[in-house]
Amino acid sequence: MAANAHSEGKHLGPAQYVMVWAALMVLTGVTLAVWKTNMSFELRVVAALGIATVKAALVALFFMHLWEHGGATRLVLAASMMFVVLLIGLTLADNMTRFPYANPPYSVTQEGIPFVDQAPPAGLPPPPKGTPRPPPPH
Amino acid sequence: MHTEARTAHLAHHFPDLKSQEHAARLGMWLFLSTEILLFTVLFTAYAVYRYLFPAAFDEASRLAHVAMGATNTVVLITSSLTVALAIHYARRGESRKTVALLAVTIACGAIFMVLKGFEYHHHFVEGQLPGRYYTYAGVSVPGVPMYFTVYFLMTGLHGLHVLIGMGVLAWVALRAARGEFSPAYSTPVELGGLYWHLVDLIWIFLFPLLYLV
Repeated sequence: MAANAHSEGKHLGPAQYVMVWAALMVLTGVTLAVWKTNMSFELRVVAALGIATVKAALVALFFMHLWEHGGATRLVLAASMMFVVLLIGLTLADNMTRFPYANPPYSVTQEGIPFVDQAPPAGLPPPPKGTPRPPPPH
Repeated sequence: MHTEARTAHLAHHFPDLKSQEHAARLGMWLFLSTEILLFTVLFTAYAVYRYLFPAAFDEASRLAHVAMGATNTVVLITSSLTVALAIHYARRGESRKTVALLAVTIACGAIFMVLKGFEYHHHFVEGQLPGRYYTYAGVSVPGVPMYFTVYFLMTGLHGLHVLIGMGVLAWVALRAARGEFSPAYSTPVELGGLYWHLVDLIWIFLFPLLYLV
């Protein structure tokens, strides 16, 4: 019973949970408000993702009790975050550094490259001069 | 009474209920990390196609209903609060409050799914669908169908998790109504709650990515 009383004391109360909820609501409002401003697109993306990360941290720390428990459970989340970064980062790096035609047709990596004048990959015959670029697929 | 609860719920290979609870919590977090990585694959697909077709994703995300998405964000965050409170009262042995709060949570999940259903219906009617099923004439930038592939995969998998979470919480609420939880033992409420919070966590990222960015 003494152990229970001890762990009970460590847990957050309803008042703190409501405060976390209010903070999450405010941040949701901020996300929408920032989105409607006319800051640059990149800045708004960074703001939206930054706010989402703060919200996720609030949920993980307080609603999911990482703040009070810690230890191995924090390690599990940290490890999975590391794999999230590796998976997204390395895959994006791959697509960003490819030979343009290794990416899907009409993607941004081929913008500004004239379709017919570009040397095709080795082993393929060049397209005849003046071949119109096919209409974009739906 | 507490010693009874201890012996009833304690598996024989754990020395006491506390270490059993720790093991259960760690196991749940390991499961959640596999869930995070499952969604990360889709987030990766999103990142790649968002990079390859920025104009298409910009145009297509305007077709998503921001008001409904924002409402659903509010609904899910509120349901996370009610689950956190349910765990709080389960730890104090106040079963009636636990059951009531879990019922509110499940209702929030249902509201979320109904709103999502309206959005899906709208996309289906307009032909805003993945791949060759994309027939919407309003936007014809190359790569737009790819946005809808990612959109339906991500929101679909997330919606499936909402449904599973509602089922899990209904089961936990049933057990709470039977008076199975006490200050000594409330692990199922906590683990069910963790699952529900993860569903909320995923949506926190899905909403800005699919509706705004």
